[in-house]
Amino acid sequence: MTLAIETTALTRYYDDLCAVDHLSLSVNNEIFALLGPNGSGKTTTVLMLTTLLHPTTGTATVCGHNITTEAGQVRNCISYVPQDMAVDIRLTGRENVHLFAKLYGVKNPKDRTDEVLAVMELTDRADDLIKTYSGGMRRRLELAQALVHEPEVLFLDEPTLGLDVAARKKIWEHIRGLRQKGMTIFVTTHYMDEADQFCDRVGIISNGKIAALGSPEELKARLMKDVITVRIEGQYPDHPVDAVSYVGQSGDEVTFTAENGSEALPHLAKTLESRGVRVHAIDLHEPTLDDVFLQAVGPQEEPHGFSDAKFRIMLRRRK
Amino acid sequence: MSGIVTYIERDFLKWSRGRVAVISALIMPAAWLIFVGLALPVRFTGNYLDFITPGILVMTMLTAGLSGGTLLMFDKILGFLNKFLALPTPREDILIGKILFITGRGLIQTSIILVIAVLIGATLLSPLQYGLIYIVLFLFGVLIAAFSTTIALYLDDHDSYSAFNTMISMPLFFTSSALMPYDVMPPWLATIARLNPLSYAIDAVRDVGSGGLPLGSVSLLTIMALLVLVCSITVFRKVTI
Repeated sequence: MTLAIETTALTRYYDDLCAVDHLSLSVNNEIFALLGPNGSGKTTTVLMLTTLLHPTTGTATVCGHNITTEAGQVRNCISYVPQDMAVDIRLTGRENVHLFAKLYGVKNPKDRTDEVLAVMELTDRADDLIKTYSGGMRRRLELAQALVHEPEVLFLDEPTLGLDVAARKKIWEHIRGLRQKGMTIFVTTHYMDEADQFCDRVGIISNGKIAALGSPEELKARLMKDVITVRIEGQYPDHPVDAVSYVGQSGDEVTFTAENGSEALPHLAKTLESRGVRVHAIDLHEPTLDDVFLQAVGPQEEPHGFSDAKFRIMLRRRK
Repeated sequence: MSGIVTYIERDFLKWSRGRVAVISALIMPAAWLIFVGLALPVRFTGNYLDFITPGILVMTMLTAGLSGGTLLMFDKILGFLNKFLALPTPREDILIGKILFITGRGLIQTSIILVIAVLIGATLLSPLQYGLIYIVLFLFGVLIAAFSTTIALYLDDHDSYSAFNTMISMPLFFTSSALMPYDVMPPWLATIARLNPLSYAIDAVRDVGSGGLPLGSVSLLTIMALLVLVCSITVFRKVTI
């Protein structure tokens, strides 16, 4: 059986900026999330897999077709929803979807349009102009456009960016529904909680490299049982404390893991106090992907500072 | 092929929903026709309206073509282009559809200008002559639309493009044979006017109006349109990887 997506040392440079660095991944029939902060190479990866950008080196196949040499076949079996929310606001919902049905060369464009509009729960607003749609509805309309030709692999770049909680939940419910129908979904996001809740497998990407890969449960289990977050003043001195292990510091929050959190808690508090660390608050919780992320890539602040020139290069290339 | 038609359909639908754009595009050429065509006291020709109408028709195509250059650029900036490029439809359909839409939109505008010209006193021609005029205007439209789309894709931002547009549209018009025949121009202007591609189209339309068959200009326009089209496709392929 051919894998839905397979990348081999996929690499992309923008001038001397390395956006994606020898990325090797395989995605089977599942919801796969590429998880990472802004500028970590998520969108660049999606652009390469959707044949919109050539890799500098390395290669990838989508549905068994090579993304550079068989780009046409790749485009035949995928759909791509970019993060820009590009729908024609002067057209109605139905017209927007019908346009894509015809461009995909679907057999009965009219019926198929009605079908996907119904799936995305847009039937009663189908003949209104997009101008009057909310952000969540526009996103669902884009999903409808992507679904008219029943793709094997669906690429979604930040599908819930800028949406409210209810709209996000709805989008994810739809994505789960598509998965049940057998579609492979490749999604990028920087919302850890969404990836945790809705995805089968996640890859955490940082500076163009995969830092951790596995199902959310696996990744969380790799950390120990419980996570202790301590809010302190200043920098943590990083002396080992019995029964807990240090994960990392992000702002004034220091994260530890422990086999048995509730037993380790008083001990940790006492040790920190005795070392002269001012503790403001201590919180004990089950591990989340945020903790996994912290362990895998370190604090989320931009470590190299902000390079204006590099940022411009990236913006220019992305258009 | 069906991709081209669909892309054209999308643009026409969008255009028809913006009434201001449709009407405002007609104001300038109509004003030229009425205020210059009817009011200018010229002595070098009998019916000045008949003389200036071909110039105004070609100017309408020029303005329509140049302003159309931004369409593909905005599709690119707003993310539509990436969506279209990821479709199984041949990618060149996007470009060809755009060029044909810009040309078609220009032809609709020139038709309205043509009607106004006849209403205010231009000589009525035979259907065959009008057919020939449309062929000339179509070729000229493709030439300008392909040119402006290429420049816009190349410049890649709206401000530079509108500066470029302002910079070339008026000089192109004034250095053409739109307003006066070559023999009343100062010699330096006549030299420039004979090289100006606008003049080829204007002279061809004028030739048709006086009963001629401008095979030379038509074939020249065809060759130029094809050349620019090839350049356009090359640039398009380059910017879309």
